[in-house]
Amino acid sequence: MNCVELQQSLAEVEDASTEEQRSHLRTCPVCSALVKELNLIVSAAVDLRCADEPSPRVWNSIEAALRREGLIRPSRTSLIPSFSSRWGALAWLVPAVATLLLCFAIYLRHTSPITETARQTFVSTPAVNAADLNDEDLLQEIADNSPAVKTQFEENLRQVNQSIRDAQSWVDESPNDAEARRLLMDAYQQKSMLFDLAMDRSLP
Amino acid sequence: MTEPRQQSGNEFNEAEAIERAKHGDAEAFHALYDKHKRRVYSLCLRMTANTAEAEDLAQEAFLQLYRKIATFRGESAFSTWLHRLSVNVVLMHLRKKSLPVVSLEETTQSTEEDSPRKDFGAEDVSLAGSIDRMQLQRAVDSLPPGYRMIFILHDVEGYEHNEIAKLIGCSIGNSKSQLHKARMKLRDLLRANRAEKAGRSKAG
Repeated sequence: MNCVELQQSLAEVEDASTEEQRSHLRTCPVCSALVKELNLIVSAAVDLRCADEPSPRVWNSIEAALRREGLIRPSRTSLIPSFSSRWGALAWLVPAVATLLLCFAIYLRHTSPITETARQTFVSTPAVNAADLNDEDLLQEIADNSPAVKTQFEENLRQVNQSIRDAQSWVDESPNDAEARRLLMDAYQQKSMLFDLAMDRSLP
Repeated sequence: MTEPRQQSGNEFNEAEAIERAKHGDAEAFHALYDKHKRRVYSLCLRMTANTAEAEDLAQEAFLQLYRKIATFRGESAFSTWLHRLSVNVVLMHLRKKSLPVVSLEETTQSTEEDSPRKDFGAEDVSLAGSIDRMQLQRAVDSLPPGYRMIFILHDVEGYEHNEIAKLIGCSIGNSKSQLHKARMKLRDLLRANRAEKAGRSKAG
């Protein structure tokens, strides 16, 4: 086998493993270097598999298209239903819990002006770190007054805070993206709904 | 096709994300996108060598995925399904552009041009050691489209010759021949690049 034949054979037996190929490679440094370099290229090629990161524009466009086509539902509907759907057979507890929360809200109105003031601050200026505002106080009150729903409430609060952080980072990344701003507003509204659930705002 | 290396300590359960995405969960869609975006986008970018086209194709691939995700039954790995779908999106695009995917007249006959060069020059421009990823990326981008496609499908994405032959409608021998020529061309490009660098540093 000469150099040209060796090279032709590499298309068919690319690892140069036949006896004829090996015999030629033992005596030909040029072909031996060629095979080594081709192997080097092959092993380096795998590094190209995940080498590049798409710009955020790609996901923004995908998400916008999915929403247009109605393939995804907004996060707002994924959080709140989960609050009730997870109760399953215990759904009868919901009105009972609502009554408890109502009593709790009345209690807060009369005994905790600081919490109420803070809540109003949250509603009027949501951009000021609202994701963490009064969460501890609220959870503590729920733990004291309605321990049965505390875990569920905590989970919903965690999810909504995460939504706010995600949306905020998207807005920071793309300040002019209307969809990002809308998601941020939605996330704040979700949090506001959670607060409303705990403290009925319609009370006198 | 070679499966992507499994990441240890996955932060999310892919099977659960797929099930949630089937029900339109936006967060699950995003999680799946995050996990696979680099590989899909890198494939599109290598195949087209054009950022804008690659972004459009990655977007199209994920949109098709989400539209069809309800039909995914898990017989094959999700990543295999997604990457095959992505390859089809890219190939369809290239066919529409009437780019020569592979010349059907290609034979396995080696030409003088393809023969090993014994007189490459006095400079030591061997590729011994390692190949810089960026250099390889540039070299792949400058390959003729037909060579580039086979190289990416086989050496980067891990498809076998029989799979490539089916995907692009050529013979297995043709695929092998094109791959060998692609590697030889890459070797030439990388060596030329190295020689140029060596020349510049000598002059400097």
